[in-house]
Amino acid sequence: MTTPPEMIHRSEAAVSIELETPDMTLNIGPQHPSTHGVLRLVAKVDGERINSVEPVIGYMHRGYEKLAEVRTYAQITALVNRIDWVSGFANEVPFIVGVEKLMGIEAPERAQYIRMILTELARISSHLVFMSSYPLELGATTPLMHALREREYILELIEEVTGGRFHPNFNRVGGVKPAYGGGSTTKKQSMDLPQGFFQRTREAMDRMDQICDDIDQLVTGNELIKMRTVGVGVIPADKALEFGLTGPNLRASGVAYDLRKVESLLPYDEIDFDIAVRPGGDCYDRYMVRLDEIRQSAQIVRQAVDKIPSGPLQAKVPRVLKAPRGQVYSRAENPKGEFGYYIVSEGGKNPYRLKIRSTSFSNLSILPYILEGELVPDLVAIMGSLDFVLGDVDR
Amino acid sequence: MSDAPDATDEQSPDSDVATVDPLTEWAEALVEELGAVRAIVEFETVRIEVERDKWVETINAAREKLELFSWLSAIDWSKDVEVGEPVDDPDALDERFEVLCRLSSIEDASGAIFVTTLDRENPSIDSLAPTIGGAEWHEREAHEMFGIDFVGNPNLTPLYLPDDFIGHPLLKSYPLISREVKPWPGDVDVEAMPEPEVEASDDEGEEST
Repeated sequence: MTTPPEMIHRSEAAVSIELETPDMTLNIGPQHPSTHGVLRLVAKVDGERINSVEPVIGYMHRGYEKLAEVRTYAQITALVNRIDWVSGFANEVPFIVGVEKLMGIEAPERAQYIRMILTELARISSHLVFMSSYPLELGATTPLMHALREREYILELIEEVTGGRFHPNFNRVGGVKPAYGGGSTTKKQSMDLPQGFFQRTREAMDRMDQICDDIDQLVTGNELIKMRTVGVGVIPADKALEFGLTGPNLRASGVAYDLRKVESLLPYDEIDFDIAVRPGGDCYDRYMVRLDEIRQSAQIVRQAVDKIPSGPLQAKVPRVLKAPRGQVYSRAENPKGEFGYYIVSEGGKNPYRLKIRSTSFSNLSILPYILEGELVPDLVAIMGSLDFVLGDVDR
Repeated sequence: MSDAPDATDEQSPDSDVATVDPLTEWAEALVEELGAVRAIVEFETVRIEVERDKWVETINAAREKLELFSWLSAIDWSKDVEVGEPVDDPDALDERFEVLCRLSSIEDASGAIFVTTLDRENPSIDSLAPTIGGAEWHEREAHEMFGIDFVGNPNLTPLYLPDDFIGHPLLKSYPLISREVKPWPGDVDVEAMPEPEVEASDDEGEEST
């Protein structure tokens, strides 16, 4: 889309004579509030224009791929939900399902539905963090309070079931952990979800519809937000695919690719929902896709709560978990995109190698490409619109 | 070149030609089309073996069909294992690096992991970064973690690790220092880990976890 004349930056309009100016190096971060953690950007700028950007990452590298090699499959679940801590539960699912595939176990249907409900709650919670931080980075402070307040309702639901707000560690090979605070305590009868959980979930989903409408009014129609985001940081679909962008960032570039539809590890095929797609590829569309996804996720949770079958939470598994020799790639739609694990098993209790395909790593790798030639004030707007978490980038 | 029947035999020796599943069929058609070595289909995961010299060419050709570049990484197949459990049968192991690259289709669930083998002594392979921009970071990671040289990558500098870091941490021979200093607290289980009934003699790797 072409920039309307009133939106051309002043610095651009004023320059009419050609001056030889040396590039200035602008160092942003690693400790900068707009970088969502510890990300450093070394930008070469010519006046207000960015000539090149070199992201420097690794300040939070914890070496999960190495650590996984000395941990048993059950212990790795506790690690993987710390990769992208904004949506911890969603990271556990592809790993556990990958191990289940190797071992030839299938989780009972009720456990799969619980996984689906919690994954969608994690998605809403992750997108609400985006809904609070992104307008803040653009200068609007009010949505922060609204979105974070509503996120608390989601985190409470997650805590009620799993016992943890951020790091549920709730998945077990062959099912889910007996829920905290619910049902029987005897070992023979597996415990179930807390009483009244479904009712509270339904109420929370109604609140989510309300907050989406509120954010719509506060942010979507806001002229200043539109000026900062429409037509800014456009990612063409072919570049998005080349850099491995997935999730809302890819869908905002017009590619209707959602792993929940194409290759689902959970019973999403029994749920009626739409993929949120926008054609523009700019920051505004990336924001809109996420807003639409909150509504869709609320719809999924409602249907899942209605349809959840009764039954056990855990399939029969051997006492010592040993995956047979083999290699499996298991991936799922994380709130930020494709999250995958390549598990190489040599028949032992630990994986021989675990490759973690983290979403934000690929999503961030396009940054040097899209920032080239942009204005310095747009840097934060573009960076924030990619919605990355540094723990997910650095692993 | 393509040795299709062998590949299916290896995974499911009892399946005859009539019951070849659609995924294997799809993988073998892809092997044929790209001139790759063979396809291995296990656990719904397609691996396509490619010759090292045809790495860039094959992957670029495959991107016509599988548009999304998902990830690139490596595996160190080594007998010298400092951490974790060694391979199933160390004596039979062919020591090598495997470089893997995953491409996915955006139309459906299809996707494949392309695999090629590198010499452990002097690992080097042509870089994908000039044709696939997203491969640059993944190659930098594999470079620092395994010491693999990606010829043609414009910026093969450390990505995660400090510039003065010595060694390649994801090599199997690289020790996990924190574990050397202090044993894994997870060993102290309230309930002792039961021994598997069938493999009573298997005591290797017990101290490692």
